[in-house]
Amino acid sequence: MSHSLSTVTMTTHFITAEIDIQETPVQLQQAIEAELQKRGEPLRWAITRVDSDRQIAQVEAIVTVESDTAAAL
Amino acid sequence: MIQRPYTVVLIVPTGVGAAIGGYAGDALPVARAISAICDRLITHPNVLNGAQLYWNLPNALYVEGYALDKFASGCIGLQPIHQNRVGLILDQGIEPELRVRHLQVADAARATLGLNLTDYVVTDAPLNVELRTAASGASWGTIGNPDSLLRAAEVLIQQAKADAIAVVARFPDDLGSEALQAYRHGQGVDPLAGAEAVISHLIVRTFQVPCAHAPALMPLPLDPDLSPRSAAEELGYTFLPCVLVGLSRAPQFVESHKAKFQLPAPTQNFTSRRGDIWASDVDAVVIPASACGGSALLSLSRQSQTQIIAVEENQTSMQVSPEDLGIQAIRVNSYLEALGVLVAHRAGISAEALSPSLSSLHCLSVRGKPASRST
Repeated sequence: MSHSLSTVTMTTHFITAEIDIQETPVQLQQAIEAELQKRGEPLRWAITRVDSDRQIAQVEAIVTVESDTAAAL
Repeated sequence: MIQRPYTVVLIVPTGVGAAIGGYAGDALPVARAISAICDRLITHPNVLNGAQLYWNLPNALYVEGYALDKFASGCIGLQPIHQNRVGLILDQGIEPELRVRHLQVADAARATLGLNLTDYVVTDAPLNVELRTAASGASWGTIGNPDSLLRAAEVLIQQAKADAIAVVARFPDDLGSEALQAYRHGQGVDPLAGAEAVISHLIVRTFQVPCAHAPALMPLPLDPDLSPRSAAEELGYTFLPCVLVGLSRAPQFVESHKAKFQLPAPTQNFTSRRGDIWASDVDAVVIPASACGGSALLSLSRQSQTQIIAVEENQTSMQVSPEDLGIQAIRVNSYLEALGVLVAHRAGISAEALSPSLSSLHCLSVRGKPASRST
Protein backbone atom coordinates (compact mmCIF):
# COMPACT_ATOMS: atom_id res chain seq x y z
CA MET A 1 0.00 0.00 0.00
CA SER A 2 1.16 3.47 -0.80
CA HIS A 3 0.11 5.13 2.44
CA SER A 4 -0.85 4.38 6.03
CA LEU A 5 -4.62 4.16 6.45
CA SER A 6 -4.39 5.74 9.89
CA THR A 7 -3.45 9.10 8.33
CA VAL A 8 -6.28 9.16 5.79
CA THR A 9 -9.75 10.50 6.39
CA MET A 10 -12.05 9.27 3.66
CA THR A 11 -15.65 10.18 3.01
CA THR A 12 -18.13 8.60 0.60
CA HIS A 13 -20.48 10.71 -1.52
CA PHE A 14 -23.42 10.02 -3.79
CA ILE A 15 -23.31 12.16 -6.95
CA THR A 16 -25.05 12.40 -10.31
CA ALA A 17 -23.70 13.52 -13.66
CA GLU A 18 -24.81 14.02 -17.25
CA ILE A 19 -22.37 12.86 -19.91
CA ASP A 20 -22.57 13.32 -23.67
CA ILE A 21 -23.00 10.07 -25.55
CA GLN A 22 -19.75 9.19 -27.32
CA GLU A 23 -19.00 7.37 -30.52
CA THR A 24 -18.29 4.04 -28.83
CA PRO A 25 -19.24 2.47 -25.48
CA VAL A 26 -15.60 2.43 -24.38
CA GLN A 27 -15.20 6.15 -25.14
CA LEU A 28 -18.35 6.80 -23.12
CA GLN A 29 -16.92 4.81 -20.23
CA GLN A 30 -13.75 6.87 -20.34
CA ALA A 31 -15.73 10.12 -20.46
CA ILE A 32 -17.78 9.07 -17.43
CA GLU A 33 -14.72 8.12 -15.40
CA ALA A 34 -12.96 11.36 -16.32
CA GLU A 35 -15.98 13.40 -15.22
CA LEU A 36 -16.38 11.49 -11.94
CA GLN A 37 -12.67 11.85 -11.27
CA LYS A 38 -13.16 15.60 -11.03
CA ARG A 39 -15.38 15.05 -8.01
CA GLY A 40 -13.51 12.25 -6.21
CA GLU A 41 -12.25 8.73 -6.77
CA PRO A 42 -15.00 6.75 -8.54
CA LEU A 43 -16.04 3.71 -6.52
CA ARG A 44 -19.25 2.57 -8.19
CA TRP A 45 -21.29 4.04 -11.01
CA ALA A 46 -23.94 3.21 -13.55
CA ILE A 47 -25.70 4.87 -16.43
CA THR A 48 -29.31 4.87 -15.31
CA ARG A 49 -31.03 6.46 -18.30
CA VAL A 50 -30.20 7.71 -21.78
CA ASP A 51 -31.90 10.81 -23.16
CA SER A 52 -31.70 10.02 -26.85
CA ASP A 53 -33.01 13.43 -27.94
CA ARG A 54 -30.24 15.29 -26.10
CA GLN A 55 -27.75 12.44 -26.54
CA ILE A 56 -27.01 12.49 -22.82
CA ALA A 57 -26.30 9.62 -20.43
CA GLN A 58 -27.47 10.15 -16.86
CA VAL A 59 -25.07 8.66 -14.36
CA GLU A 60 -25.40 7.91 -10.65
CA ALA A 61 -22.23 7.24 -8.69
CA ILE A 62 -20.49 6.92 -5.38
CA VAL A 63 -17.09 8.61 -5.15
CA THR A 64 -14.67 8.73 -2.27
CA VAL A 65 -12.88 11.87 -1.21
CA GLU A 66 -9.85 12.09 1.05
CA SER A 67 -9.66 14.69 3.78
CA ASP A 68 -7.70 17.40 1.98
CA THR A 69 -10.20 17.58 -0.90
CA ALA A 70 -13.46 16.92 1.00
CA ALA A 71 -14.29 20.63 1.16
CA ALA A 72 -14.43 20.84 -2.65
CA LEU A 73 -17.73 18.93 -2.84
CA MET B 1 -10.25 -31.48 -30.90
CA ILE B 2 -9.14 -29.06 -28.23
CA GLN B 3 -11.48 -26.10 -27.69
CA ARG B 4 -11.09 -23.15 -25.42
CA PRO B 5 -13.26 -23.27 -22.27
CA TYR B 6 -16.63 -21.67 -22.98
CA THR B 7 -16.81 -18.79 -20.50
CA VAL B 8 -19.97 -16.87 -19.62
CA VAL B 9 -20.38 -13.75 -17.48
CA LEU B 10 -23.79 -13.44 -15.82
CA ILE B 11 -24.65 -9.98 -14.51
CA VAL B 12 -27.75 -8.96 -12.56
CA PRO B 13 -26.92 -5.48 -11.26
CA THR B 14 -27.37 -4.95 -7.55
CA GLY B 15 -30.04 -2.66 -6.11
CA VAL B 16 -31.98 -1.96 -9.32
CA GLY B 17 -35.09 -4.01 -8.58
CA ALA B 18 -34.37 -6.78 -11.08
CA ALA B 19 -37.48 -8.94 -11.38
CA ILE B 20 -35.20 -11.98 -11.28
CA GLY B 21 -32.19 -11.54 -8.99
CA GLY B 22 -33.31 -8.38 -7.25
CA TYR B 23 -34.30 -10.19 -4.07
CA ALA B 24 -32.80 -12.95 -1.93
CA GLY B 25 -30.35 -14.62 -4.30
CA ASP B 26 -33.18 -15.40 -6.66
CA ALA B 27 -31.01 -15.39 -9.78
CA LEU B 28 -29.22 -18.45 -8.41
CA PRO B 29 -31.39 -20.84 -10.46
CA VAL B 30 -30.33 -18.88 -13.58
CA ALA B 31 -26.69 -19.26 -12.55
CA ARG B 32 -27.17 -22.97 -11.94
CA ALA B 33 -28.73 -23.44 -15.36
CA ILE B 34 -26.01 -21.48 -17.17
CA SER B 35 -23.25 -23.24 -15.27
CA ALA B 36 -24.63 -26.53 -16.57
CA ILE B 37 -24.06 -25.53 -20.20
CA CYS B 38 -20.75 -23.65 -20.00
CA ASP B 39 -17.26 -24.50 -18.84
CA ARG B 40 -16.80 -21.44 -16.63
CA LEU B 41 -19.37 -19.07 -15.20
CA ILE B 42 -18.21 -15.73 -13.83
CA THR B 43 -20.81 -14.01 -11.71
CA HIS B 44 -21.11 -11.86 -8.62
CA PRO B 45 -22.42 -12.08 -5.03
CA ASN B 46 -25.80 -10.52 -5.84
CA VAL B 47 -26.52 -13.51 -8.06
CA LEU B 48 -25.17 -16.25 -5.82
CA ASN B 49 -25.96 -15.04 -2.29
CA GLY B 50 -29.17 -16.40 -0.83
CA ALA B 51 -28.50 -15.53 2.81
CA GLN B 52 -28.86 -18.93 4.51
CA LEU B 53 -29.11 -20.63 1.12
CA TYR B 54 -26.31 -21.20 -1.38
CA TRP B 55 -25.33 -23.75 -3.97
CA ASN B 56 -21.91 -25.04 -4.75
CA LEU B 57 -21.20 -24.57 -8.45
CA PRO B 58 -17.74 -26.05 -9.08
CA ASN B 59 -17.29 -24.14 -12.35
CA ALA B 60 -18.52 -20.77 -11.06
CA LEU B 61 -16.24 -17.90 -10.08
CA TYR B 62 -17.59 -15.61 -7.33
CA VAL B 63 -16.33 -12.15 -8.24
CA GLU B 64 -17.38 -8.98 -6.42
CA GLY B 65 -18.65 -6.10 -8.58
CA TYR B 66 -15.63 -3.80 -8.39
CA ALA B 67 -13.32 -6.68 -9.33
CA LEU B 68 -15.72 -7.70 -12.08
CA ASP B 69 -15.48 -4.20 -13.56
CA LYS B 70 -11.67 -4.32 -13.42
CA PHE B 71 -11.63 -7.83 -14.86
CA ALA B 72 -13.85 -6.70 -17.74
CA SER B 73 -11.61 -3.72 -18.43
CA GLY B 74 -8.55 -5.96 -18.67
CA CYS B 75 -6.92 -4.54 -15.55
CA ILE B 76 -6.94 -7.81 -13.64
CA GLY B 77 -7.21 -11.51 -14.31
CA LEU B 78 -8.94 -14.12 -12.19
CA GLN B 79 -6.87 -16.89 -10.65
CA PRO B 80 -8.89 -19.90 -9.50
CA ILE B 81 -7.77 -21.23 -6.11
CA HIS B 82 -8.60 -24.24 -3.95
CA GLN B 83 -9.21 -22.39 -0.72
CA ASN B 84 -9.14 -18.90 0.78
CA ARG B 85 -8.59 -18.04 4.42
CA VAL B 86 -11.57 -15.83 5.07
CA GLY B 87 -11.28 -12.98 7.55
CA LEU B 88 -14.45 -11.64 9.17
CA ILE B 89 -15.08 -7.97 9.97
CA LEU B 90 -17.92 -7.13 12.34
CA ASP B 91 -19.23 -3.59 12.59
CA GLN B 92 -18.87 -2.15 16.10
CA GLY B 93 -22.45 -0.94 15.70
CA ILE B 94 -23.80 -4.52 15.92
CA GLU B 95 -25.53 -5.26 19.22
CA PRO B 96 -23.83 -7.91 21.45
CA GLU B 97 -26.43 -10.62 20.90
CA LEU B 98 -26.49 -10.10 17.14
CA ARG B 99 -22.68 -10.19 17.12
CA VAL B 100 -22.73 -13.58 18.82
CA ARG B 101 -25.19 -14.86 16.23
CA HIS B 102 -22.75 -13.94 13.47
CA LEU B 103 -19.79 -15.46 15.26
CA GLN B 104 -21.77 -18.67 15.61
CA VAL B 105 -22.32 -18.69 11.85
CA ALA B 106 -18.57 -18.36 11.37
CA ASP B 107 -17.93 -21.24 13.77
CA ALA B 108 -20.63 -23.31 12.08
CA ALA B 109 -19.04 -22.71 8.69
CA ARG B 110 -15.75 -24.00 10.09
CA ALA B 111 -17.21 -27.03 11.85
CA THR B 112 -19.94 -28.07 9.42
CA LEU B 113 -18.53 -26.99 6.06
CA GLY B 114 -14.81 -27.15 6.84
CA LEU B 115 -14.14 -23.57 5.79
CA ASN B 116 -10.90 -21.88 6.76
CA LEU B 117 -11.47 -18.67 8.73
CA THR B 118 -8.96 -16.43 10.47
CA ASP B 119 -9.64 -14.73 13.77
CA TYR B 120 -12.11 -11.87 13.40
CA VAL B 121 -11.95 -8.09 13.88
CA VAL B 122 -14.50 -5.65 15.27
CA THR B 123 -14.22 -2.20 13.68
CA ASP B 124 -12.82 0.55 15.93
CA ALA B 125 -15.90 2.71 15.26
CA PRO B 126 -19.47 2.05 14.13
CA LEU B 127 -19.56 2.07 10.32
CA ASN B 128 -22.75 4.17 10.25
CA VAL B 129 -24.26 2.93 7.01
CA GLU B 130 -26.79 5.34 5.48
CA LEU B 131 -29.25 4.22 2.82
CA ARG B 132 -30.49 6.25 -0.10
CA THR B 133 -32.80 5.74 -3.06
CA ALA B 134 -31.81 7.75 -6.13
CA ALA B 135 -34.00 9.39 -8.75
CA SER B 136 -33.58 6.35 -10.98
CA GLY B 137 -35.11 4.13 -8.30
CA ALA B 138 -31.78 2.41 -7.62
CA SER B 139 -30.66 1.98 -4.03
CA TRP B 140 -27.32 3.49 -3.07
CA GLY B 141 -25.67 4.17 0.25
CA THR B 142 -22.80 5.83 2.00
CA ILE B 143 -20.57 4.75 4.86
CA GLY B 144 -19.95 7.13 7.73
CA ASN B 145 -16.61 5.62 8.74
CA PRO B 146 -14.93 4.04 5.73
CA ASP B 147 -11.50 4.41 7.35
CA SER B 148 -12.58 2.19 10.21
CA LEU B 149 -13.66 -0.47 7.72
CA LEU B 150 -10.32 -0.29 5.91
CA ARG B 151 -8.29 -0.42 9.14
CA ALA B 152 -10.11 -3.61 10.11
CA ALA B 153 -9.42 -5.16 6.71
CA GLU B 154 -5.76 -4.18 6.96
CA VAL B 155 -5.42 -6.03 10.28
CA LEU B 156 -7.01 -9.17 8.85
CA ILE B 157 -4.87 -9.15 5.73
CA GLN B 158 -1.54 -8.19 7.27
CA GLN B 159 -1.71 -9.80 10.72
CA ALA B 160 -4.13 -12.69 10.30
CA LYS B 161 -3.05 -13.40 6.70
CA ALA B 162 -6.61 -13.44 5.43
CA ASP B 163 -6.89 -13.67 1.67
CA ALA B 164 -10.59 -12.85 1.43
CA ILE B 165 -12.73 -10.55 3.56
CA ALA B 166 -16.32 -10.99 4.74
CA VAL B 167 -17.93 -7.87 6.20
CA VAL B 168 -21.00 -7.70 8.41
CA ALA B 169 -22.21 -4.12 8.83
CA ARG B 170 -25.13 -3.01 10.96
CA PHE B 171 -27.80 -1.68 8.62
CA PRO B 172 -30.68 0.54 9.72
CA ASP B 173 -33.80 -1.40 10.72
CA ASP B 174 -36.64 -0.05 8.66
CA LEU B 175 -39.61 -2.04 9.87
CA GLY B 176 -42.45 0.16 8.74
CA SER B 177 -41.11 1.43 5.41
CA GLU B 178 -43.01 0.87 2.20
CA ALA B 179 -39.79 -0.14 0.45
CA LEU B 180 -39.20 -2.98 2.91
CA GLN B 181 -42.78 -4.18 2.69
CA ALA B 182 -42.62 -4.17 -1.10
CA TYR B 183 -39.29 -6.02 -1.03
CA ARG B 184 -40.66 -8.71 1.28
CA HIS B 185 -43.47 -9.18 -1.21
CA GLY B 186 -41.11 -9.53 -4.19
CA GLN B 187 -41.58 -6.03 -5.56
CA GLY B 188 -39.51 -2.87 -5.82
CA VAL B 189 -35.84 -2.37 -5.09
CA ASP B 190 -33.74 -3.98 -2.37
CA PRO B 191 -33.16 -0.94 -0.14
CA LEU B 192 -29.92 -2.37 1.28
CA ALA B 193 -28.17 -3.62 -1.83
CA GLY B 194 -26.60 -0.39 -3.06
CA ALA B 195 -24.89 0.32 0.25
CA GLU B 196 -23.71 -3.28 0.50
CA ALA B 197 -21.95 -2.91 -2.82
CA VAL B 198 -20.21 0.26 -1.64
CA ILE B 199 -18.73 -1.59 1.36
CA SER B 200 -17.31 -4.46 -0.66
CA HIS B 201 -16.11 -2.15 -3.45
CA LEU B 202 -14.09 -0.12 -0.93
CA ILE B 203 -12.21 -3.17 0.30
CA VAL B 204 -11.58 -4.65 -3.13
CA ARG B 205 -10.39 -1.31 -4.49
CA THR B 206 -8.01 -0.76 -1.58
CA PHE B 207 -6.61 -4.24 -1.00
CA GLN B 208 -7.33 -6.20 -4.21
CA VAL B 209 -8.70 -9.20 -2.31
CA PRO B 210 -12.07 -10.92 -2.74
CA CYS B 211 -14.73 -9.41 -0.50
CA ALA B 212 -18.46 -9.70 0.08
CA HIS B 213 -20.91 -8.26 2.54
CA ALA B 214 -23.82 -9.43 4.68
CA PRO B 215 -26.02 -6.93 6.51
CA ALA B 216 -26.78 -7.33 10.21
CA LEU B 217 -30.43 -6.65 10.96
CA MET B 218 -32.84 -7.51 13.73
CA PRO B 219 -35.14 -10.40 12.73
CA LEU B 220 -38.39 -9.22 11.15
CA PRO B 221 -41.84 -10.17 12.44
CA LEU B 222 -43.39 -13.14 10.68
CA ASP B 223 -45.10 -12.29 7.38
CA PRO B 224 -47.27 -15.12 6.08
CA ASP B 225 -47.44 -13.44 2.65
CA LEU B 226 -43.69 -13.31 2.14
CA SER B 227 -42.63 -13.68 -1.51
CA PRO B 228 -40.71 -16.85 -2.36
CA ARG B 229 -38.10 -14.58 -4.02
CA SER B 230 -37.42 -12.84 -0.68
CA ALA B 231 -37.87 -15.79 1.65
CA ALA B 232 -34.23 -16.94 1.83
CA GLU B 233 -33.39 -13.89 3.93
CA GLU B 234 -35.91 -14.77 6.62
CA LEU B 235 -34.75 -18.25 7.51
CA GLY B 236 -32.46 -17.32 10.35
CA TYR B 237 -30.60 -14.62 12.22
CA THR B 238 -27.97 -13.73 9.64
CA PHE B 239 -27.26 -13.50 5.90
CA LEU B 240 -23.65 -14.59 6.40
CA PRO B 241 -23.51 -18.30 5.39
CA CYS B 242 -23.62 -17.71 1.62
CA VAL B 243 -20.93 -15.02 1.86
CA LEU B 244 -18.50 -17.31 3.69
CA VAL B 245 -19.15 -20.13 1.23
CA GLY B 246 -18.72 -17.86 -1.79
CA LEU B 247 -15.52 -16.28 -0.51
CA SER B 248 -14.00 -19.61 0.51
CA ARG B 249 -13.32 -20.39 -3.15
CA ALA B 250 -13.49 -16.97 -4.77
CA PRO B 251 -10.71 -16.46 -7.33
CA GLN B 252 -7.78 -14.23 -6.47
CA PHE B 253 -6.77 -11.30 -8.66
CA VAL B 254 -3.68 -10.99 -10.79
CA GLU B 255 -2.59 -7.73 -12.29
CA SER B 256 -2.23 -7.30 -16.01
CA HIS B 257 1.09 -5.91 -17.17
CA LYS B 258 -0.70 -4.65 -20.26
CA ALA B 259 -3.45 -2.83 -18.34
CA LYS B 260 -4.21 0.66 -19.50
CA PHE B 261 -5.47 1.70 -16.08
CA GLN B 262 -3.51 1.98 -12.87
CA LEU B 263 -4.82 0.03 -9.92
CA PRO B 264 -5.03 2.00 -6.66
CA ALA B 265 -2.97 -0.68 -4.91
CA PRO B 266 -0.97 -3.64 -6.16
CA THR B 267 -2.59 -7.04 -6.04
CA GLN B 268 -1.56 -9.33 -3.18
CA ASN B 269 1.00 -12.10 -3.51
CA PHE B 270 -0.47 -13.71 -6.58
CA THR B 271 1.56 -13.76 -9.75
CA SER B 272 0.14 -14.53 -13.14
CA ARG B 273 0.17 -18.14 -14.20
CA ARG B 274 -1.29 -20.47 -16.78
CA GLY B 275 -5.00 -20.99 -16.16
CA ASP B 276 -5.67 -17.40 -15.18
CA ILE B 277 -8.82 -16.04 -16.79
CA TRP B 278 -8.84 -12.72 -18.63
CA ALA B 279 -11.53 -10.59 -20.25
CA SER B 280 -10.44 -11.86 -23.66
CA ASP B 281 -11.51 -15.35 -22.54
CA VAL B 282 -15.15 -14.29 -22.15
CA ASP B 283 -17.38 -15.81 -24.82
CA ALA B 284 -20.75 -14.45 -23.72
CA VAL B 285 -22.37 -12.01 -21.30
CA VAL B 286 -25.95 -12.33 -20.10
CA ILE B 287 -27.55 -9.13 -18.77
CA PRO B 288 -31.04 -7.66 -18.20
CA ALA B 289 -31.96 -5.72 -21.35
CA SER B 290 -32.80 -2.53 -19.43
CA ALA B 291 -29.61 -2.46 -17.34
CA CYS B 292 -26.81 -2.19 -19.89
CA GLY B 293 -25.19 0.92 -18.38
CA GLY B 294 -22.63 -0.69 -16.11
CA SER B 295 -18.88 -0.46 -16.47
CA ALA B 296 -18.33 -4.20 -16.96
CA LEU B 297 -20.68 -4.44 -19.92
CA LEU B 298 -19.28 -1.33 -21.57
CA SER B 299 -15.80 -2.84 -21.33
CA LEU B 300 -16.79 -6.27 -22.60
CA SER B 301 -18.76 -4.80 -25.50
CA ARG B 302 -15.53 -3.80 -27.22
CA GLN B 303 -14.64 -7.46 -27.79
CA SER B 304 -16.08 -8.66 -31.07
CA GLN B 305 -15.85 -12.32 -30.02
CA THR B 306 -18.02 -11.78 -26.95
CA GLN B 307 -21.72 -12.42 -27.55
CA ILE B 308 -23.91 -10.14 -25.44
CA ILE B 309 -27.35 -11.51 -24.64
CA ALA B 310 -29.92 -9.03 -23.33
CA VAL B 311 -32.84 -10.57 -21.44
CA GLU B 312 -36.04 -8.54 -21.74
CA GLU B 313 -38.13 -10.39 -19.16
CA ASN B 314 -35.79 -9.46 -16.32
CA GLN B 315 -37.05 -5.92 -15.93
CA THR B 316 -35.25 -3.42 -13.71
CA SER B 317 -35.62 0.21 -12.62
CA MET B 318 -32.87 1.16 -15.10
CA GLN B 319 -33.68 2.45 -18.59
CA VAL B 320 -30.54 1.72 -20.56
CA SER B 321 -30.84 -0.66 -23.49
CA PRO B 322 -27.89 -2.00 -25.50
CA GLU B 323 -29.11 0.03 -28.50
CA ASP B 324 -29.02 3.25 -26.45
CA LEU B 325 -25.26 2.84 -26.09
CA GLY B 326 -24.45 1.33 -29.47
CA ILE B 327 -23.79 -2.11 -27.98
CA GLN B 328 -24.28 -5.06 -30.33
CA ALA B 329 -26.47 -7.59 -28.53
CA ILE B 330 -28.92 -10.41 -29.16
CA ARG B 331 -32.24 -9.65 -27.49
CA VAL B 332 -34.13 -12.59 -26.00
CA ASN B 333 -37.32 -12.67 -24.03
CA SER B 334 -36.32 -14.99 -21.19
CA TYR B 335 -33.40 -16.75 -19.52
CA LEU B 336 -34.73 -19.99 -21.02
CA GLU B 337 -34.20 -18.44 -24.45
CA ALA B 338 -30.79 -17.10 -23.38
CA LEU B 339 -29.78 -20.65 -22.49
CA GLY B 340 -30.64 -21.73 -26.02
CA VAL B 341 -28.56 -18.93 -27.52
CA LEU B 342 -25.62 -19.92 -25.31
CA VAL B 343 -25.87 -23.58 -26.31
CA ALA B 344 -25.98 -22.66 -30.00
CA HIS B 345 -23.11 -20.18 -29.64
CA ARG B 346 -20.97 -22.72 -27.84
CA ALA B 347 -21.70 -25.30 -30.54
CA GLY B 348 -20.80 -22.84 -33.29
CA ILE B 349 -24.36 -22.69 -34.63
CA SER B 350 -25.75 -19.37 -35.82
CA ALA B 351 -28.90 -18.59 -33.84
CA GLU B 352 -30.50 -17.41 -37.12
CA ALA B 353 -30.32 -20.95 -38.49
CA LEU B 354 -32.65 -22.12 -35.72
CA SER B 355 -35.48 -19.81 -36.75
CA PRO B 356 -37.94 -20.55 -39.61
CA SER B 357 -36.96 -17.54 -41.71
CA LEU B 358 -33.44 -17.19 -43.00
CA SER B 359 -32.75 -14.52 -45.57
CA SER B 360 -30.38 -14.95 -48.52
CA LEU B 361 -26.89 -13.54 -48.42
CA HIS B 362 -26.29 -10.15 -50.00
CA CYS B 363 -23.27 -9.21 -52.02
CA LEU B 364 -21.18 -6.45 -50.53
CA SER B 365 -20.02 -3.71 -52.83
CA VAL B 366 -16.37 -3.24 -53.70
CA ARG B 367 -15.15 0.37 -54.05
CA GLY B 368 -18.72 1.64 -54.09
CA LYS B 369 -19.84 -0.55 -57.02
CA PRO B 370 -22.73 -2.91 -56.20
CA ALA B 371 -22.02 -6.35 -57.66
CA SER B 372 -24.75 -8.44 -59.24
CA ARG B 373 -25.35 -11.88 -57.79
CA SER B 374 -23.67 -14.53 -59.93
CA THR B 375 -25.57 -17.66 -60.86
